[in-house]
Amino acid sequence: MILLDLAVTFGVLSLIAFGGMPAVMPEMQRLVVEVKGWTSAPEFIQLFAIAQAAPGPNVLIVSLIGWKAAGLPGAVVALLAVCGPAAVLSWWIADLWERFKDSPWRSAIQKAIAPLVVGLILSGGYVLCTPSTPDWRLWAIAAASAIALLTLKVNPLWILAGGGTIGGVLLGG
Amino acid sequence: MDVTPPKSLTELFTGFLAIGARSFGGVLPWAHRTMVEERRWLTPADFAETIGLCQFLPGPNIGNASIVLGKRWFGVTGSIVAFLGLMALPFIWVMALGALYLEWAHDPTVRAVVTGVGATGAGLFMGTALKLGRAIVRRPAALGLVAACFLAVGVGRFSMLIVLPVSAAIGVFFARRGWL
Repeated sequence: MILLDLAVTFGVLSLIAFGGMPAVMPEMQRLVVEVKGWTSAPEFIQLFAIAQAAPGPNVLIVSLIGWKAAGLPGAVVALLAVCGPAAVLSWWIADLWERFKDSPWRSAIQKAIAPLVVGLILSGGYVLCTPSTPDWRLWAIAAASAIALLTLKVNPLWILAGGGTIGGVLLGG
Repeated sequence: MDVTPPKSLTELFTGFLAIGARSFGGVLPWAHRTMVEERRWLTPADFAETIGLCQFLPGPNIGNASIVLGKRWFGVTGSIVAFLGLMALPFIWVMALGALYLEWAHDPTVRAVVTGVGATGAGLFMGTALKLGRAIVRRPAALGLVAACFLAVGVGRFSMLIVLPVSAAIGVFFARRGWL
């Protein structure tokens, strides 16, 4: 019943992914690697890399995880599970949200979520480049990439290409 | 600016297909180019507001945007068609790349390069977080929440199912007092 397990795991992630996929990445890594054992920690960062390098929404990492766990059906189930519940919620909330435009609660919730998203995305970056024991080379690459994003005005794809080259030199045998 | 919403499901599908097919290095800029600049389905302000809502909602932002916009123009069929258009080609790309990678995963150099790309992606996350953080950096209560979240989820590896409700409650409490 691995398909059901994939559906439930990613369905739950879908509903707590405030701030999108980057914010839920630490929880996804914890569930996939530590709780379910669908991939190892070094594999997880590699699947993440493939999803980042391919065009399209970065949510597609879940298809690669589903594929590793249960083949092509796993890939489809994981993607639908991570999008479905949030999609249903969006479908209902879109109009409601408009109605509460001037509610003080709406602005309080928005303000409360902003710092949480920042903390969660930072956690995602930290967890991804610390797969098992801390490795200064991964941290150095991540730091250089963050600085490049903040200072250069280029397509992030170039930054990924640069980081891949540095990785080949630093991490290669 | 005159806007011309998509007139048929086919047009909706091909529009989202064009977004998914070209979105190297991030979907959002391509969504803007396709829907606002090329096809003029939306005004820039309308686009920003829709994306803002979808960033607030849980789940993949651009996936949610396809649901919300599809619904606006064609109801539930529109939502499904837009979502499928958006995901169809990227799904094939990522599977093909994954299969290719598996072929070569035993090669230490390939593994090193791919791990390097992963670490770079992790760094892009951190850079994005810092960009988002600029807006709240002067509020000590907000910085405290960022730090608490990072320590609990990133370092402590506590489940978000526990951390999220607790920190959201604290956040709303802070916000109601005007600290955020």
